[in-house]
Amino acid sequence: MAMPGQFMFVRQLGPTARLLIWLLVGVTCVVLDSRYQALDGLRSGFSLVLQPVRQVLRAPADVATELGGFFTRHRALQKERDALLAERAALLAGVNAARDLERENAELRTLLQLQERPGQQLVRAALLYKGHDWFSQRITLDRGASAGLRAGLAVVDAAGLMGQVNKVYPGTSDVMLVSSPGHLTPVVIERTGQRGLAAGSGQGLMELRYMPAQTDIRAGDRLLTSGIDRVYPAGIPVARVSRVSRSQSSPYLRVECVPLAGLGRSRAVLVLAAEPQEALP
Amino acid sequence: MNAPAHTLGGWRHILGTLVLAVLLEQFPWDGWALALRPDFVLVAVLFWALHQPTRVGFATAFAFGLLADFQDGVVFGQHAIAYVVGVYLALFLRLRLLQFDPLRQAAQLFPVLLAVQLTVLLVGWLAVNPPTTLAVLLPAFSSALLWYLATGFLWLWHGKGLQDRA
Repeated sequence: MAMPGQFMFVRQLGPTARLLIWLLVGVTCVVLDSRYQALDGLRSGFSLVLQPVRQVLRAPADVATELGGFFTRHRALQKERDALLAERAALLAGVNAARDLERENAELRTLLQLQERPGQQLVRAALLYKGHDWFSQRITLDRGASAGLRAGLAVVDAAGLMGQVNKVYPGTSDVMLVSSPGHLTPVVIERTGQRGLAAGSGQGLMELRYMPAQTDIRAGDRLLTSGIDRVYPAGIPVARVSRVSRSQSSPYLRVECVPLAGLGRSRAVLVLAAEPQEALP
Repeated sequence: MNAPAHTLGGWRHILGTLVLAVLLEQFPWDGWALALRPDFVLVAVLFWALHQPTRVGFATAFAFGLLADFQDGVVFGQHAIAYVVGVYLALFLRLRLLQFDPLRQAAQLFPVLLAVQLTVLLVGWLAVNPPTTLAVLLPAFSSALLWYLATGFLWLWHGKGLQDRA
């Protein structure tokens, strides 16, 4: 056997041979994980070990935020309170109207014998960690399977849709953001009601794909989830159209959108944990 | 042999720095800090692979690569393969690197670190959208064959190969 520090006449494989062996192991890992999802246990193990560490290390940042909030000026707080009171009044008026509509809707639904929509259950979660991946944009939340999360649930913040729960561990979960390249979100243009597919284009932006050139769409239009995929509930704001341009080479419009949710900023999010829907007959 | 290389680093030092590197990466890095964040674990692994090659090598690099894969939520093996490549390159340059001062060591390690990043990128790309066919590699084989034929022809033409074999 080789003694530590002894290099001459050591009987072991050369570096190139060992490199090749480990490359083979690595490629096996990639294939096992991407094709057969065989390594999810290892992922859960890492998450169990690292979750408490991350919880602890998140504390300094939280304390800094708290301290920053403590020194907010009194005047700013007053202004914010006034704005919130005004907003509350407006919302309360809206709530009354919504109650009215809800009752009317319930009556109409019973008339039409439609299924009731399943009740929405909210799970509050906070940002725990951000990965650094070139091919997708993800965040890690501090709630997992123990809080009732499942893969596929929608994640929103106060402003709009953030993404979809991608992987669930016992105490944490990974969320794929809507701006993640190639991630598709079925949307409807709020103004016209036309359906479409919004795809993430990386760098925190989205694009609306396959819109024929004569589509009525302009900058400023809001996109909501259409709900036809039965993944996202209908009516969650997703993005605002920032630019519409026509390209010579493609029959479709180039529609650039900016996600409404604070994908890079929001620390507190909600997970919409709906009851599993059975397919409509 | 290089004297300081062997006084540096018992098991406790090695474990301590590696654990510290992992902890540093668990901070909730964000925005520019996240984009600029050095790969602490990779630097620690390469450092010990240079200074304690009998203790820290391919296996350690692979294990910490798997950890990095978990951290970034990417397919397992992406960073593991890249770290193993990094250790190989560092071992290849080892005797040369240990003779330089810190600035030159950093400059010499830069291409190694660049190669590691490019490997991460390449493996990730292959894992996310694998090529439908490996036919893109065929020109490499046919070009190698062409090289063999052309060089063999030239050798025979000048009689060099015959002399060598004689």
